[in-house]
Amino acid sequence: MADVLTRPDDPGRRRIVNWFLGTSAGAFLAAVLYPLTRYLVPPRTGESAAASVTLAIKPDEVKANSGQIFKFGSRPGILVRTASGELRAFSAVCTHLNCTVQYRADVSHIWCACHNGHFDLNGQNIAGPPPRPLEAYVVNVRGNQIVVSKSV
Amino acid sequence: MRRVAAALAIVLACALAASAAPPAPAAKAATAPASPRPDSCVTCHLETGDDRLAGPAKAYTDDIHRAKGFGCTACHGGDPNAEGMEAMDPAKGYIGKPAGARIVQVCGRCHADARFMKQYNPSLRVDQVAEYESSVHGRRLRELKDPKVATCASCHAPHGIRPPSDALSTVHPLRVADTCGRCHADAKYMASYKIPTDQRDKYKKSVHWNAMSAKGDLSAPTCNDCHGNHGAAPPGVNWVGNVCGQCHTVMAELFGKSVHAKAFTQMGVPGCAACHDNHDIRPTGDHMVGATGDAVCASCHNPDDAGGKTATTMRGLLDALAGEWDKARGLLEKAEHAGMEVSQPQFELSSAKDALVKARAAIHAFTIEPVKAEVDGGLAIARKAHARGVRALEELRFRRTGLVVSVVIIVALIGGLLLKIRYLERPRAAGTKSS
Repeated sequence: MADVLTRPDDPGRRRIVNWFLGTSAGAFLAAVLYPLTRYLVPPRTGESAAASVTLAIKPDEVKANSGQIFKFGSRPGILVRTASGELRAFSAVCTHLNCTVQYRADVSHIWCACHNGHFDLNGQNIAGPPPRPLEAYVVNVRGNQIVVSKSV
Repeated sequence: MRRVAAALAIVLACALAASAAPPAPAAKAATAPASPRPDSCVTCHLETGDDRLAGPAKAYTDDIHRAKGFGCTACHGGDPNAEGMEAMDPAKGYIGKPAGARIVQVCGRCHADARFMKQYNPSLRVDQVAEYESSVHGRRLRELKDPKVATCASCHAPHGIRPPSDALSTVHPLRVADTCGRCHADAKYMASYKIPTDQRDKYKKSVHWNAMSAKGDLSAPTCNDCHGNHGAAPPGVNWVGNVCGQCHTVMAELFGKSVHAKAFTQMGVPGCAACHDNHDIRPTGDHMVGATGDAVCASCHNPDDAGGKTATTMRGLLDALAGEWDKARGLLEKAEHAGMEVSQPQFELSSAKDALVKARAAIHAFTIEPVKAEVDGGLAIARKAHARGVRALEELRFRRTGLVVSVVIIVALIGGLLLKIRYLERPRAAGTKSS
């Protein structure tokens, strides 16, 4: 046992120690360079992952039978207050050719000016070329703030 | 042997009854039957073992009329309580197997009676017979006694009628083209009418069929949406815009006020279909505008005439906005993928896409001004978004350069420290050796 401890120049032991040191240094370099590389070449992502947004609009500022466009990630959303006072929110991207829809108080519809598509206040496509309903969001009023979230 | 004799007797009775008087009005149920009840018609027809006779009885089990409580006699007359051939007594209203105009008459007894139909479906239309009379089918039947034209049972599968919302119905939106195509795509059957028989195949290459069958949009048009269902007829030259305009309102309105609306009518050219075809309506694109190549305008206009010049200018405007929008979108996407916050210019760029879509619709006015108005607005938005994308990428380059410089400095520092450590350790090692 004492013999083993007093043989520092044993080439076999030195190789093992060098191997461990080399491996550790390599692992350390990989741990540093990998995140750096991933930062410099980030992966491709899909559409905005925004799942919730607090609007700059106050609940009192949205009159009955009116609608306002807001920014939801990089895409437009539309906040509507129905004639009965209920707040609803939808994606403002028309399901026909991706134009931005707007609110029409004269017919109480969400309307796409590009090709005259109409949606009711449940987001259902009811006239014109849009093939599908608008995506509906969840609206929560917290104190004096309106929070719009993607429905789960 | 008894079964064969019974089958022959029934066929003979049908043939006799078919040439007899029309069904007695009394045969129509005045009020709704409470529930389907077993009758001698079904019993005997199933017993024959002959598919021609048993088939209708079997198919009728899934028919909506049976579900509402109607038996065979509601259409065929006769007495379901009598047994054997007595059930098929013309004196009891038996009419056998109706054909041609009599089918319309039999169905119309109930379906043209608003008060009667209200019991089952108050919102159901009751003008099918009147509509049918106006159709090419109805007119040929009435005026020419053409036995080959479609009547109610040609499209609505006799004995297996289901509501149009039922996916198995022959008039479900996804099956209408095939139902019409059973006759209209049969070159042999249609030979005497001298009309094309490729409508169904062409339709199945169209954007409308793709929207319905691949994207699941059952509101997309099929045969009956443009031709009418019970009043089926080709839309006239003057009507085409009105028909397409049921959905494509903006383009139809612009076209209706354009120079082409009147000119096309005078030339006998069908409005929308002149450029977009009728059954084989393919996806539209900017390539359709212009005076050269595969542009549809080029089929009438030369690049040098006034219309050709207008088309060329409009195409140039569209290409400019489409190119600028695409450039800005690509740049912002690149910046977004590189981790830069560009959601605001992306949000604003959607207005440029709106302008592009509106400019494409404005083409149907066939003048430069409305297209230019949309394009100018869109170009300003797209260029602004592009500039913000350029700034975002410049910021990204600056950050990366800073990162590289920082890394170089840190690496140099580490290297220097290592050298310093070795330098500090060297004299001690030398001293140890010398001692």
